[in-house]
Amino acid sequence: MQKLLLTVDKISTFVGQAFSWLIVALTLMISWEVFSRYALDHPHSWAFDVMIIMYGTLFMMAGAYTLAKSGHVRGDVLYGFFEPRTQATIDLILYVIFFIPGVFALTYAGYYFAAESWAIHESSNITAEGPPIYPFKTVLPLAGIFLLAQGVVEIIRCVICIRQGQWPSREEDVQEVDVDKLKEMVHVKDADIAKLDEVVVSQGSTK
Amino acid sequence: MRIRKELWFGFSLMAIILIAVVVLTPWSGFIDGHLGHDDLGALGLLMLALIVVAIMLGFPTAFTLMGMGVFFGWLAYRSVNPALANQQILDLMVQRAYSVMSNDVLIAIPLFVFMGYLVERANLIEKLFKSLHLALARLPGALAVATIVTCAIFATATGIVGAVVTLMGLLAFPAMLRARYSVQLSAGAVTAGGCLGILIPPSVLLIVYGATAGVSVVKLYAGAFFPGIMLAGLYVVYVIVLAKLKPHLAPPLAAEERHVDLPPLSQSLSTGRRNAIAGLWGAMRAPGLSKRAVASQLFVSALPALAIVALLIVLYGGATAPPKAVDTTGLVQAGGGIVAEEEAPMSGLAEPPAEGAADATSLQEPPAEGAASAAAATPSVAAPATRPSAPAAIPAPAAEPKSVPAPLWFWITLATGLVGVVLVCWLMSWQRLEIFKMLLTSFFPLAIMIVAVLGSIVFGLATPGEAAAVGAFGGLLLAAVYRYIAVRQAAFPNPVMATARDLGGILKESSFLTAKTSAMVCWLFVGSSIFSASFALLGGQELIERWVLSLGLTTVQFMLLSQFIIFILGWPLEWTEIIVIFMPIFIPLLAKFGVDPLFFGLLVALNLQTAFLSPPVAMAAFYLKGVAPRHVTLNQIFAGMMPFMGIQVIAILLLYVFPQIGLWLPELLYK
Repeated sequence: MQKLLLTVDKISTFVGQAFSWLIVALTLMISWEVFSRYALDHPHSWAFDVMIIMYGTLFMMAGAYTLAKSGHVRGDVLYGFFEPRTQATIDLILYVIFFIPGVFALTYAGYYFAAESWAIHESSNITAEGPPIYPFKTVLPLAGIFLLAQGVVEIIRCVICIRQGQWPSREEDVQEVDVDKLKEMVHVKDADIAKLDEVVVSQGSTK
Repeated sequence: MRIRKELWFGFSLMAIILIAVVVLTPWSGFIDGHLGHDDLGALGLLMLALIVVAIMLGFPTAFTLMGMGVFFGWLAYRSVNPALANQQILDLMVQRAYSVMSNDVLIAIPLFVFMGYLVERANLIEKLFKSLHLALARLPGALAVATIVTCAIFATATGIVGAVVTLMGLLAFPAMLRARYSVQLSAGAVTAGGCLGILIPPSVLLIVYGATAGVSVVKLYAGAFFPGIMLAGLYVVYVIVLAKLKPHLAPPLAAEERHVDLPPLSQSLSTGRRNAIAGLWGAMRAPGLSKRAVASQLFVSALPALAIVALLIVLYGGATAPPKAVDTTGLVQAGGGIVAEEEAPMSGLAEPPAEGAADATSLQEPPAEGAASAAAATPSVAAPATRPSAPAAIPAPAAEPKSVPAPLWFWITLATGLVGVVLVCWLMSWQRLEIFKMLLTSFFPLAIMIVAVLGSIVFGLATPGEAAAVGAFGGLLLAAVYRYIAVRQAAFPNPVMATARDLGGILKESSFLTAKTSAMVCWLFVGSSIFSASFALLGGQELIERWVLSLGLTTVQFMLLSQFIIFILGWPLEWTEIIVIFMPIFIPLLAKFGVDPLFFGLLVALNLQTAFLSPPVAMAAFYLKGVAPRHVTLNQIFAGMMPFMGIQVIAILLLYVFPQIGLWLPELLYK
């Protein structure tokens, strides 16, 4: 079971990370476009559409990846104080009544939305003769499917947690605030901090 | 048992809301399947109450919003026409989601986030703090002031509160403690400074607000600039005054802490004359010294003066340009003015005369970082001034036939500028030269990047998204250059390859983090746009409007109330949730009270600063606690944050009483 969960995690992560490289492409493309506009006096009419397509694809396809790494923002007022079992019960209920219907509806609607676009081979209407937009609209149901799959995995995780009383493990990933990495970056060692403790203690005693 | 108490509090709050929900729900309407107009409005309010409960329970907010939006939207459609309800709600949903996917304001979010991660990983904060600390060493409370200034600049460029507080907690906090600063003051300076990044543009918060409220992000950036500087300035003033009044809280630095090591060349010359420029000029003719080395030192030491001269020439060009070209030159002139003005508060923080002048050089390119900053400054309005060594490149408008005589203000500026040049040359001692060189490699590249990004947005050269992309590219170059320097110093066999490998790692990590952060924010937008559409469908918005108007509040009362509500919401919720969910409710009310949404946005941005500092969920405090010595307690950190929170409240009041602090610049630029 745990293996299946981790496999789905891996798929979500792989897809999300693959699409996350779009940010590099996006940065380079826009920088080039700005350079081309001002320095070469040669703007491209498709640039705006491509920018939007890259941005939209990037964040939609990273949705499941973010869920797999529990990166979606949650109100952490009470949640952190609960026992893992309570957390899992609440999550399980809310996944079933909010997440599954919501994301399923989005995927279902997105499928027809994209199908209509494919049927007419829709092009972007922001500029005349804009680039084709139907692959971009396909991203919507696609992202929904990955998100649904990840959601089911999360539900199974909740069930396991309710049974065992603790959360099943997740794969490690880059952290926004990775204290150890930051310490290494600015050359601070734990011993330094420990030594500093004496200063704090002595300050407390002089007061 | 503190934990128990909080749980009880949370649960009782939820119970109250749920009881209200049960009592107010129009059950009869559900039973006969027919909901009247008022019933629907009540449903809308219930939806709002339920969302608060669901968020407090801690489920990912984006999906709570989505699920609830779909269900209640479906109810609203069903009450009108049951046969069409399914199709209608699906259409609404997909349209809303697609509008977020193709939103040309939100596109700036991933790019700015990416820029932030790159700058963070460029690893220049250590240098930045060191050089600022030496530059400001003479001020009372120097280390705390340097901390706040470092935070303001670094946080502005990165915008990641957690990382900035952690890094400063590792660098500045120990430095302050070792200098026998009080724990409270040190903690306060680090946490308050680290949060400045969400206010000072280019900040993601303002983009999110702009996208939600339909306010131009460009105007928000122009507007938030001075309030941000003002807040940082107030922090600094507070620290200086406190250090002056109670020196035991922030003792002056010992002589060895302020000492700057001179390189051999300067060392040998410094025995002759005190002034670096005069000494180097004399050394040009001295035998036995490398001419090139001396000349390059001389050039660096003369940079501040050259920058002032270049600025004056640009100003003269702007002031005397023929009236026909007023459209563009007006911008350039305003550009010079703006940069000069934004330097002014900075120079207030810096060691007065020498640094003030040195700051003016942020307009121009430090030679060491030529490649990095030139690219970062590509779209910048400051571009004409970036090459002080080539004043010939600046068009000479005086030669044109219809040029006008320079106005009086120009001559006044000229006089001040010339006095500045003399002062700068006179004060450039050997020590200051070294400090200036350190600033050139740490402070100025970052400052130029920020000014270039902001300048190109504010003067309309690039959209926020484009400027963000160029900023991210600049961040990439910064990371590359600093990595290369670090690798060179560590004497790896093949520095280029090692740099490339490092850079690949940085790029990979930054991209992954960017993808996660943007997915978090943008999916929240998807959820909330579905939610707010359903809320409007149910008529909840209308009900709230009617209710607020029936209270008969004056504008002042309304503003106080709304800011108070936002302040309270800042306790349990994150700023993204507050803006994305609750701003759509406040914004339509603003027109009824004649409040400018731009002004409101600035107040909200200032207000949400307090959310990071108000216990017990102050994120900043926990990040600092994570890296602080064992005996620094959370209570000490909270106590240290309190005065800074007080300053934030004062800043909000100041902005409210003098709206021109925020509105002057946007009004000047976008009449």
